[in-house]
Amino acid sequence: MSPERGHPARRPAAGGPGLRPVAAISLLGPIAWRNLWRNPRRTGITLAVVAIGVWSILTFDVMLKAWAVNSRQEALRLLTGEGQIHAAGYLDDPGVGHRTPAPAGDLLAVLDGPMVSAWAPRVRVPAIIRSEYRTRPVTLLGVSPTAEHAVSDLPSQILAGRYLVSPADSGVVIGADLAVRLKTRLGKRVIVMAQGADGRLAERGFVIVGLFGNTRGAQDEFVFTGLRPAQAMLGVGGDLSETSLDVAPKVKPDVAVAALRRAAPGLDVQPWTALSPLAYTMETISGAYIGVWLAVVFVLMAIGIVNTQLMAVFERTREFGLLQALGLRPGMIVLLVMLESTLLIGLGVVAGVVLMVATLAPFAGGIDMSAFAAAAELAGGGGRLYPVLAPVDAVTLSLIVWVLGVAATLWPARTAARAAPVVALNTL
Amino acid sequence: MSVIIGCRGVEKIYRQGAVEVPALRGVDLDIVAGDFATLSGPSGSGKTTLLSLMGGLDRPTAGEITVDGHALSGMDNDRLADLRLRKIGFVFQTYSLVPVLSAIENVEFILRLLGAPRGEREARAREVLAQVGLAGLEARRPSRLSGGQQQRVAVARALATRPAIVLADEPTANLDSANAEDLIALMADLNRASGVTFLIATHDARVIAHSRRRIEMVDGRITADEGQGAPVAA
Repeated sequence: MSPERGHPARRPAAGGPGLRPVAAISLLGPIAWRNLWRNPRRTGITLAVVAIGVWSILTFDVMLKAWAVNSRQEALRLLTGEGQIHAAGYLDDPGVGHRTPAPAGDLLAVLDGPMVSAWAPRVRVPAIIRSEYRTRPVTLLGVSPTAEHAVSDLPSQILAGRYLVSPADSGVVIGADLAVRLKTRLGKRVIVMAQGADGRLAERGFVIVGLFGNTRGAQDEFVFTGLRPAQAMLGVGGDLSETSLDVAPKVKPDVAVAALRRAAPGLDVQPWTALSPLAYTMETISGAYIGVWLAVVFVLMAIGIVNTQLMAVFERTREFGLLQALGLRPGMIVLLVMLESTLLIGLGVVAGVVLMVATLAPFAGGIDMSAFAAAAELAGGGGRLYPVLAPVDAVTLSLIVWVLGVAATLWPARTAARAAPVVALNTL
Repeated sequence: MSVIIGCRGVEKIYRQGAVEVPALRGVDLDIVAGDFATLSGPSGSGKTTLLSLMGGLDRPTAGEITVDGHALSGMDNDRLADLRLRKIGFVFQTYSLVPVLSAIENVEFILRLLGAPRGEREARAREVLAQVGLAGLEARRPSRLSGGQQQRVAVARALATRPAIVLADEPTANLDSANAEDLIALMADLNRASGVTFLIATHDARVIAHSRRRIEMVDGRITADEGQGAPVAA
């Protein structure tokens, strides 16, 4: 051994005793990893806390978004569509007096253009339906069946009989529940009455050709017949009450609505967000709910992480003092503890995501909400929920938890770095 | 003879609430290159306190300490850490190894802090482990080494960087007689063969018997310093 003092590999002290950040991490990383497993029970508990926290955040995110999508679909695919065109004043007074001519010119060009994927003309007025036994208030819709198939799910929800076959079809399709309330059935005749364009009572007999399912509210409210018989009954010529439309994929509804407004400046063009505020609210507040839940879970998780890390740090005070006595700078102690936290929380986050994926696997076909139909209907949802973990959500939320979790351990890390090197001389 | 550690008028007062407890009362001392010195005295005499101040582990209330010509006063924590890394090897009473590192990794850890290349640090770690009689046990973690073996690893770690001085605090306190004798003999051999300077705080009469310079402390003062000026040639 050379008696010369000083190791030949020594480097200047600037920025640490010869260690760049990468070298420091490569030196301390394996130690941090091994340190994690010195107390497997504590590590396991912390891992479980983080994993369950991440799992709960992702579950909340997935379920809320599934509910919002379901709620939107239920609302938009009932009759609303992604936008509607009415005569000015129709939404406040949806009677026969507020009607529009059939789309033509610039408006027709936009409706048939690339921004709109489908549109359906309708006559839609309040009416009364009467069977031999009962009378009920309803909304009469005169529809063009082929176009209606493109913007609404109702035509495909026929439980008995058939849907309308053409705009000239003079049969009537009513809700199965309404048929029960009216004490009538498929093939029977009903009378529909409404105010005509001339202000007088217009009425016409229709044969029930189909019964549809869907929510109880929709079954009670809507009665469908062909567009032309409805127009004829009301005496509105070729006029319409509303035009429902769906926007082409990758086109924002607001952009399409703006184009339609420019094409038909005298008409009232509204996006679904204004027509179905409950669905819109569900969609917009879901993000806020997720944020609140993230904050709640994170605070609880952070308390657990900081508590266990502080315990670990206090138990290892002498060890941190020893490392400093050997020449580790206080900043390197902070780095060591932060590396331990980064690995620990990172593992917990990965475990949480894996747990979430495993939880979702059995529900790939959707979650049947029929057991909660009444509550679901009240909240604008229903049918089946399709929970899907969006990769961008999983990555974003995981990163947030990871970064905030590691940041929370700055306190224990700084506490560790404050361990005086002189404690290395203590025997206890 | 070059002075490795110099103390001038060093005082240390601990405060326990409103009560001041003087641990060192004006210590003047030079440790020179090649010394194999012991610092002895009854419990509370201040030997561990003096060792901690000489090693830059704590700061004196008054006085000045130099290590290899560098004054410790005014150094911040980072510079003190660098100085400890470069100039001082420590051997503590408890074995004080990093429990998750093997024997060779414990030794290499210090060399990695200094930025030594892989091949060089591994060769140096094996060399010092062989010097302390642990060849073949390099891969063992501390939990699989006896107390005596762990303390040898601590000595190897202290020597790995070729420090200016090795400070040892009661290194034999937790060893049985045989291991204590072996460790003392090892340190004495290293001093004789390589000129490594040792300052050992101890109660152990066997350690004191091996030393050439015997410094005694009572109540925070040096009361005797025998053998001064007779170190092995460095």
